[in-house]
Amino acid sequence: MKFSFWKRKQRDEELSEEIQTHLTLGVREEMESGRSRRDAQFAARREFGNETLARETTRDMWGWRWLGDLMQDIRYGLRLLGKNPGFTVVAILTLALGIGANTAIFSLVDTVMLKMLPVQKPEELVVLAITYPKSTGEPNPEFTNPIWEQIRDQHDVFSGVFAWSQARFDLAQGGESHLVNGLEVSGDYFNTLGVQPAAGRLFVSGDDKRGCSGSAVLGYGFWQEHFGGAQNAVGSVLSLSGHPFEVIGVAAPRFYGVDVGTKFDVAIPICAEAIIRGSNSTLDVRMAWWLNIVGRPKFGISPEQVSARLQVISPQIFAATVPQKWKAESQKNYLSGIIVDSPAGKGLSEVRRSYDQPLRILMAVVGLVLLIACANIASLMLARAAARQKEISVRLAIGASRGRLIRQLLTECVLLSFAGAALGILFARWGCAILVRFISSPRNPVFLQFSVDSRILGFTAAIAVLTGILFGILPALRSTRVSLSSAMKGGRQDETPGSGHFRPGRWIVAGQVALSLVLIIVAGLFLRSFSNLLTLDTGFDRGNVMMIGANAHNANLSPEVRETLWSQAIQRLKKLPGVTSASESVITPISGVGWNSYFHRQTGASPVGRNALANINAVSPEYFATLRSPILVGRTFNVGDSDGAPLVGVINETMARRFFGGADPIGQYMYIDQTSGTAGPLIQVIGVVTDAKYRTLRETTPATIYFPVAQLAAQQAQGMSEQPSFEIRTAAAPAAIVKSAAEVFTSMNGSISLSFRTLEQQVNDSLRQDQLLATLSGFFGGLALLLAMIGLYGVLAYMVTQRRKEIGIRMALGAGKSSILGLIMRDVSILLAAGIVVGVGISLWATHFMQRMLFNLNARDAKTIIFSVAVLSAVALLAGYLPARRAARLDPNVILRDE
Amino acid sequence: MTPPKEPYQNRTEILQGTLDMLILQVLQWGPRHGYALSKAIRTNSGEILKVDTGSLYPALHRLERKKWIEAEWKPSEIGPRLRVYRLTKSGRKQLVSERSRWAILTSAIAGILNPAKNEGD
Repeated sequence: MKFSFWKRKQRDEELSEEIQTHLTLGVREEMESGRSRRDAQFAARREFGNETLARETTRDMWGWRWLGDLMQDIRYGLRLLGKNPGFTVVAILTLALGIGANTAIFSLVDTVMLKMLPVQKPEELVVLAITYPKSTGEPNPEFTNPIWEQIRDQHDVFSGVFAWSQARFDLAQGGESHLVNGLEVSGDYFNTLGVQPAAGRLFVSGDDKRGCSGSAVLGYGFWQEHFGGAQNAVGSVLSLSGHPFEVIGVAAPRFYGVDVGTKFDVAIPICAEAIIRGSNSTLDVRMAWWLNIVGRPKFGISPEQVSARLQVISPQIFAATVPQKWKAESQKNYLSGIIVDSPAGKGLSEVRRSYDQPLRILMAVVGLVLLIACANIASLMLARAAARQKEISVRLAIGASRGRLIRQLLTECVLLSFAGAALGILFARWGCAILVRFISSPRNPVFLQFSVDSRILGFTAAIAVLTGILFGILPALRSTRVSLSSAMKGGRQDETPGSGHFRPGRWIVAGQVALSLVLIIVAGLFLRSFSNLLTLDTGFDRGNVMMIGANAHNANLSPEVRETLWSQAIQRLKKLPGVTSASESVITPISGVGWNSYFHRQTGASPVGRNALANINAVSPEYFATLRSPILVGRTFNVGDSDGAPLVGVINETMARRFFGGADPIGQYMYIDQTSGTAGPLIQVIGVVTDAKYRTLRETTPATIYFPVAQLAAQQAQGMSEQPSFEIRTAAAPAAIVKSAAEVFTSMNGSISLSFRTLEQQVNDSLRQDQLLATLSGFFGGLALLLAMIGLYGVLAYMVTQRRKEIGIRMALGAGKSSILGLIMRDVSILLAAGIVVGVGISLWATHFMQRMLFNLNARDAKTIIFSVAVLSAVALLAGYLPARRAARLDPNVILRDE
Repeated sequence: MTPPKEPYQNRTEILQGTLDMLILQVLQWGPRHGYALSKAIRTNSGEILKVDTGSLYPALHRLERKKWIEAEWKPSEIGPRLRVYRLTKSGRKQLVSERSRWAILTSAIAGILNPAKNEGD
């Protein structure tokens, strides 16, 4: 636009003035030639011609006409919407829900998957991974420290490259843990990313040297919360998992790390991992895969050149870092590894990996909801357009072009959808907060930075316009396609029976029925899958079990002292009031953590390949009683199964079946296939316990073997007892036990850190994704059903008013109430049937995308489909019955008198 | 059903496309307001060419947009102020090129209307 709007108005006034002067001059001249004033005025006007036309065409010359039209349409639209507040409010709320849901899910998708990292030139960054020629899986993005050091020292393609790992540090020096999100980063982490310090300084390569003293960089948010943003935080000392770390600086605000969905509180150099983990340090371990690597290629070097170069240096890197203990075959495979790179500009994200598919499904679900909302408003608009038929005919008759009228009707629709979008953005903000709370758990806090930025606004505006046009185009086209003469005569267009009463409205409703059926089926599938998970027989009783995670790392105890301490703790926990039983284990169920090995029978055939793999847990004798996993055959451990006594194990049903078939496993011997290729010590099977889920609820129950905690040393796994878990079964609510249980530990040793969590919480946290999908799809399914029913009701109610005359005549000719009821209900049934057929068809095709997310449920589950159809039909028939009953109660006398 | 909306038409007898040239030509004689312009065209053509005001003002504003003429408000002796148009430098150039085009056109038309004479030459 060349001219601003006010200037246009000024121009308009000037043009009027100019034309007025022209006329005045004309009149003057005519009068000078002797005419009367009246005659002169007529003559001048005649001479001038069509004043309005002159004005309009002149305005066209300015190229502003569309703007004028638009302003006029908007004013007119606002006035009309104001006249029908009921319609307007319903329409705006419907749209706000539809658009808000889309904006909320899109914000999540945008933040998790699309947005670039807030660092310098994120598009340049590449993330490294290892691929093996023989493997078909995804390249593995995790590296060992020895490999990282090789890459750091040998590469010549990066202007900067860094490695990092996520960690949790305990700020407390004993007692209940205060965990913070930590990062272990290499020296070039911050400068490669181009992050500036907010205070002090950030790490440089010199800070990350073997044997370094503890230094730390704080995240901005942590600095604000923990130190109140004080400058003297720099130089202060922070205790991280019991070790002193000097704070050297604070990272810039809005830098949260490169793992999307998390936020770091404290970063330490990789070399300081040795301080935190002491003798368990993995800095020189060639089998510990814990680092991610990101690099910024040198200027002018393409990603392909980087790949080529990495491939060249890969053999020597792997040759220098091969784990010597491995079997020859494994070593050969290791040596064949190739380091590859891929774009890393959007960061790495566990959240993205696990929520990629749910987010896609939710995006589709909210898209459908919006479509249904559109359909709803379209049918409302159709009904309203019919009411405006006369106005539209008049406007067409006095020369409005059809295009112009359609534009005007569409403007009204877009106005509506913009109002809905504005409200929808508010809804979306709440929605996002709720969504993040949903996917976040205390163990896995998810941090996502949402902002209503230009992308979100752009997306929302785009869908608002699209929506407006979508629901407006059909009513606009239809209402402007009228026969002038009949409309002007005042007759109703769709009066004649059989000429397709309100046909497009009917198809819209059938479409709505179909779409909402799809959503109801999707919701039904997710709800049933979730309920399958909830009611799954896990093999243990998750109610009333408090779990205490204990960490003796800071206490510096010898393994023997430590184990005595733990067994004393169990004795004292058992005696607490309200405690039924207490036990110890190194792994708790459904924690997502595992420990496994390949097992063999001493005699007889063992399973081969992955079938020989069994999960391991080490537990105290009361473990099975505390979790209520009954021993089926044999016995559980007892005090006799101590360190030094013969090694024993309890296996679960699956393991018994897989390794021993029908034979009695009790008394049989097994051994572990150790990584070095040698056979481990013999373990005697003393019992079979009922099958229980181990790592996740979704897994097929794996073969599992339990060792007594007392024999961990003999299994060369003494390190596992440094951070055991204690399970307490309580008679009442388990939360009440926390205080007295904590006292048991702190009274014995003040440097033990503790964390509390109920087994139920742990199980439920593992189901967050399923819960999210079930809840949201349930909510949107319900919303869709409601919208579709409002649509159906509205259209039928309208059809009934349109067919008043026909109904009146039928009744006058002797049709009974029931036949009128049947007449309308037949219509409803046809619409419903059409909708159901299409809806089931779409569902059969669409739901197979969900199969992977469903638990113990076929995506084409007939029960769910039948149930959904039943629910939908019941509600639809009810929605149809109300207007039908009204039709049946019409009084023919009144109607025929009216007409 | 719907009367087709009439597109913008030059309703004068004046040949399509020549109005711009006539306006530029009249303004070459000095600045004028719209009424004077239409009068000048009428009188100078011996009352043959009548400029429809429905075409005049759009034309004036079009020429103004193309920067061939400039407008200015001037007080008048009759009371209301007048919008007076003046030729610009580029307008002058435009007039020259339009006139030469016009000359070519008229001679071409003359050639068709009087073929014998041309052949005879």
